[in-house]
Amino acid sequence: MSGARALARRLAVPPLLALPLAAAAAEPCGARLGAGVERAESARYVVAFRPAPAPIAVGRAFALDAEVCPKRAAPRPTGLRVDAHMPEHRHGMNYRATVASAGGARYRAEGLLFHMPGRWQIVFDVEAGAEVERAVRDVPLE
Amino acid sequence: MRSGAFARAGAPLLAAAMLAFAPPAGATGLTGPEVRRVLQHGPWPQPVLRDPSNRASGQPDAIALGRRLFFDRRLALDGALSCAACHVPGRAFTDGRARARGRALLDRNTPSVLNVGLARWFGWDGAADSLWLQSVKPIVHPLELAADAAHVARLIRADPALACRYERAFGAARLAGADAEALLVDAGKALAAFLETLVTGRTPFDEFRDALARGDAAAAAAYPAAARRGLALFVGRGNCSFCHFGPAFTNGEFADVGVPYFVAPGRVDPGRHGGIRQLLADPRNLLGPYSDDASGAAASRTRHVALEHRNFGEFKVPGLREVARTAPYMHDGRLATLRDVVRHYSELDEDRLHADGERILRPLRLTPQESEDLVAFLESLSARAPARVIPPAGAPDECTTAEAAR
Repeated sequence: MSGARALARRLAVPPLLALPLAAAAAEPCGARLGAGVERAESARYVVAFRPAPAPIAVGRAFALDAEVCPKRAAPRPTGLRVDAHMPEHRHGMNYRATVASAGGARYRAEGLLFHMPGRWQIVFDVEAGAEVERAVRDVPLE
Repeated sequence: MRSGAFARAGAPLLAAAMLAFAPPAGATGLTGPEVRRVLQHGPWPQPVLRDPSNRASGQPDAIALGRRLFFDRRLALDGALSCAACHVPGRAFTDGRARARGRALLDRNTPSVLNVGLARWFGWDGAADSLWLQSVKPIVHPLELAADAAHVARLIRADPALACRYERAFGAARLAGADAEALLVDAGKALAAFLETLVTGRTPFDEFRDALARGDAAAAAAYPAAARRGLALFVGRGNCSFCHFGPAFTNGEFADVGVPYFVAPGRVDPGRHGGIRQLLADPRNLLGPYSDDASGAAASRTRHVALEHRNFGEFKVPGLREVARTAPYMHDGRLATLRDVVRHYSELDEDRLHADGERILRPLRLTPQESEDLVAFLESLSARAPARVIPPAGAPDECTTAEAAR
């Protein structure tokens, strides 16, 4: 509570209004996804995600629970697309992930499968209206 | 972006722990990363999990029914062929021919059905997303058993041994009242339940791999030096284990490895491209009404499979266990021996590969010694004694005997 009051003083807002702000400030992107969250970043967004089941293994289908968090002044995300590829191999997955909204800025991508060991990249295309911004995360897979 | 947070993704903890006890690289001729890759090819055997889309999977009566059906020539419309006519048990469940011969010469090589219960897709083109669908396909294929649902239903209902096992596996009411299509699919499910039991035995490679895992240098030394050098190529410079991955030596997917796909002048085998199209149009696929998986999870791969241009000319990556007993090789059996296969990859014709295909495929330019070493390694993937399955050969079935005694 004292932290919230201090934050309110710094922001010059009433303490009651500052409470949700304090909670938001204390909660990193994707905290609600649970343990084992990873992050990909673009210029204006952070995509926090967690594979299920974890860890990702060669030949095992998995889903990704994701949360998209806009950085300062970025427009709210309106959608997310998820794909993956192997840059050194010049190919992607043999599957096309489907993404469903899980409420707010949270999404669930299903149907991913990495069929080879090596360096994969998970590609998140964050949609904000007509704009699309890409965040990429390396996944070295043994 | 934090680097390395996924660095161990997919590395089983057990394998990582085992590595700590592995013999030093110098003792085996393998580098540390190579040892890690070798450990991923085991342990063996792997458990075959029950197929949630097949309620008969793992069920003894269904296995017994499937076993009888597999060897039963009456399953063919004219009684001339059985599954075992091409999947010959004494030949590692292949037929030794380049291309299978049903009622006519078919386009593809007969794949072994050993370890098929571990697969994700079935057939050279993956046109089946379940083992039971794959089992139905040759029954109704006009150039294979050429039967239909009515024929199969009649056979099961009329034969006491088949009917008895069917009743136990699927229920008396279903035997009496289900439509012929349902009985055909059930026959496929029983065949799949039987096929899931065909698991290859342990091999010299497995003994070496397990010796590595437990750090037993003396036991590891029993593995022939040529096979060890071939293994190092396989998991190292050869890049073979990218596709021939894991305990079954296959990643379960498809690849274009530069094998021509012309079947005859002017006619091509589209491989995986045609397989996906066929699968998605098949009413018996996992998205249809015949799957027993109420959760729908088993159908996820079918729902998400992507049809890409590069799938044209891709064929299933075969598992390599018992590979020395399954000649000839490739989807059309064009390579007679393992030496021919090694030569294919050594001299790979890059002009035959898709421009947008797998970039790591390059001619290996192996020396004669390296080629022999790779062959020695591949030969070490066979069990000392081949898998044996004794056909029922019309013997009385325990099921009918027990029913008669009641």
